[in-house]
Amino acid sequence: MDNLKSKKILIVDDEPEIRIMIESFLRKEGFFRIYSAADCASALSICRTGKPDIAILDVMLPDGDGFSLLSSIKQFLDMPVLFLSARGEDEDRLLGLGLGADDYMVKPFLPRELVLRLTAILKRVYSSPVAERLSAFQLGEYIIDLDSAIVHRNQQELPLTAKEHAILVKLYENQGRIVTSDALCQAVWGDDSYGYENTLMVHIRRVREKIEMDPSNPVYLLTVRGLGYKLLVKAIR
Amino acid sequence: MRGIIRILRGFVATTIFISIFLLIFNFVVLGLLVFKEINQRPSPEVVLKQVAQGLNSQNESYDLDEQVTELLQHNEAWAMLLGEDGQVQWDYQLPNDVPRTYNLVDVALFSRYYLMEYPVYIWEHEDGLVVVGYPKKSHWKYQFDVLSDWMSSLPLRLVMLLLLNAAVALLISVVIGMRLMRGIRPLVDGVHSIAREEPVQLNSKEIFGDLARSINSASAILQKKTAALKARDEARSNWIAGISHDIRTPLSMVLGYASEMEDNLDLPEEQRHQAGIIRRQGEKLRSLVSDLNLVSMLEYEMQPLQLKHIRLTVLARQVATEFLNNGLDDRYVIELKMTDEAVQIKGDEKLLLRAISNLVENSMRHNPQGCEITLETSLSEDRSKYRFIVRDNGRGIPQEQLAEITELPYSSRRRRSVQQGHGLGLPMVARIAQAHQGRLKLVSGVDQGGLEAVMEFPV
Repeated sequence: MDNLKSKKILIVDDEPEIRIMIESFLRKEGFFRIYSAADCASALSICRTGKPDIAILDVMLPDGDGFSLLSSIKQFLDMPVLFLSARGEDEDRLLGLGLGADDYMVKPFLPRELVLRLTAILKRVYSSPVAERLSAFQLGEYIIDLDSAIVHRNQQELPLTAKEHAILVKLYENQGRIVTSDALCQAVWGDDSYGYENTLMVHIRRVREKIEMDPSNPVYLLTVRGLGYKLLVKAIR
Repeated sequence: MRGIIRILRGFVATTIFISIFLLIFNFVVLGLLVFKEINQRPSPEVVLKQVAQGLNSQNESYDLDEQVTELLQHNEAWAMLLGEDGQVQWDYQLPNDVPRTYNLVDVALFSRYYLMEYPVYIWEHEDGLVVVGYPKKSHWKYQFDVLSDWMSSLPLRLVMLLLLNAAVALLISVVIGMRLMRGIRPLVDGVHSIAREEPVQLNSKEIFGDLARSINSASAILQKKTAALKARDEARSNWIAGISHDIRTPLSMVLGYASEMEDNLDLPEEQRHQAGIIRRQGEKLRSLVSDLNLVSMLEYEMQPLQLKHIRLTVLARQVATEFLNNGLDDRYVIELKMTDEAVQIKGDEKLLLRAISNLVENSMRHNPQGCEITLETSLSEDRSKYRFIVRDNGRGIPQEQLAEITELPYSSRRRRSVQQGHGLGLPMVARIAQAHQGRLKLVSGVDQGGLEAVMEFPV
């Protein structure tokens, strides 16, 4: 985790105050190798010499736009990029993400959000693949191992089917929050999954049989009438 | 193109009608003028018959009836009676160049054609052959010699002739019509193009050059006006986009430092609280700026729509779930009543989600005392429209405000100032519905009747 803080970050924005502000936020969070540039030209030269690990790019720059800057950087340096734009239009967002940007934020932003998103990108790109493993979690007496799709239950191992696994992953990602049955169907059967609601109910029933003590009176996988389902996880490993 | 065919059809029908009318007209005129001329005088046959009847023999000499004599005189005709021997037995005004004796061959010849260029007609008499002659070149005398087959097929031939006439008339009318159409078609296309607001440049050297010039100039004027209007709309929208852009950067710093101060444990409690207020107000400004931008893009039809097939019931559940997941206050209850779940509409998912949450937020904001909010979807009776209804049982909106609540705040159409929120929520919903070829209808019951917002979309 600590090695993430030592990553080199490039901030490109034509407003000096914004650069100073972002830099101070990042320093406060523990990042210390921070470069900043006010235009495309100096950004490109920093990229050539300093080889930063991640860049925060403004879309509107005095000598060009962030999108073309991204294209020219990508020609010689493969690094993650987070766009920070004062234009909120959807086209810009799509264009930025289409060009291979890793995230897109609209000004004004909260510093906490910027740092969170930046860290998320760094983790995704630079962390070892071991951390990418799916979690295992405990529900009462049972341990659900999403990585191997097995429910450990009193020295007993109950394998999860592919669909049950997909349902549990989706619910676990949104633990404590309601997931609509539409979103669950989409996660399991993909787009255009209308009409699978009844099948979903059958699968939910099977999941409950594996993870609940009393499947008829569930305490972890709850039904929210008319909307969907919610997974309550008490202890997270 | 269909219009042109219709015009052509009408044109051909008219031509055929006129041709038939002309034909009948000709027959009538023929009967009235041509044949009447012939019938003005008694025909040679009648004269002959009267001569034959009026010629009485009286002891070796002949005597012609007075009346018949006058008739002959009137016709400037002469007459003679040939006896069995070929000699002229009697004559009346017989010209000198006519011979007095005839043999069988002579008689046979003149009975068919002319006698010394006099048109002559013969009739049988008890004493021989009555011959009546008319002045030279006064009559045409020909004999028709036809086969009986020809005669019997004559009606058929006449019908054929008529049909041929009709066919020729049709052909001519189609050819003329086509030529006319070729002249008109560019004009028709031009007018259609004007209706579609496309630029038109017609050749003004054709038959309808005058008309073409008018159409060209109408199109040019229209194009210019549309361009000016579009430029103005674009300028307005860009202006708002520009302002919101310029607000975003300073606001970033306000929000950023305020939230840093709010989290800074070194600061006294009161200052952190105040920083929190600055942060929250900054966030309000942020949402106002982005809403303003979106509404202005929608208003000037510059918001790109990412259309795809969407089931509104999915969006309803998503919005309700989001409100619940983000901690819905206990004062509010969200109910769902979904019917016709399978129906899809074409829409922009983000905009529609925005519209639905705006309506729910609107109900909550107008009813701080709490209320029950129902999301309802259904097809209209004729299954042509899909309705999304957000209904609450709260205070409702006074009738007189209902009409203008979807207008933009500060616009001339909205007389009352906005009381709660920034007033862009409902105008935005109305414009999102419009962008989907739908509409927003607001109904409020009288006195504590709650508010019912109905979005209607074409299926």
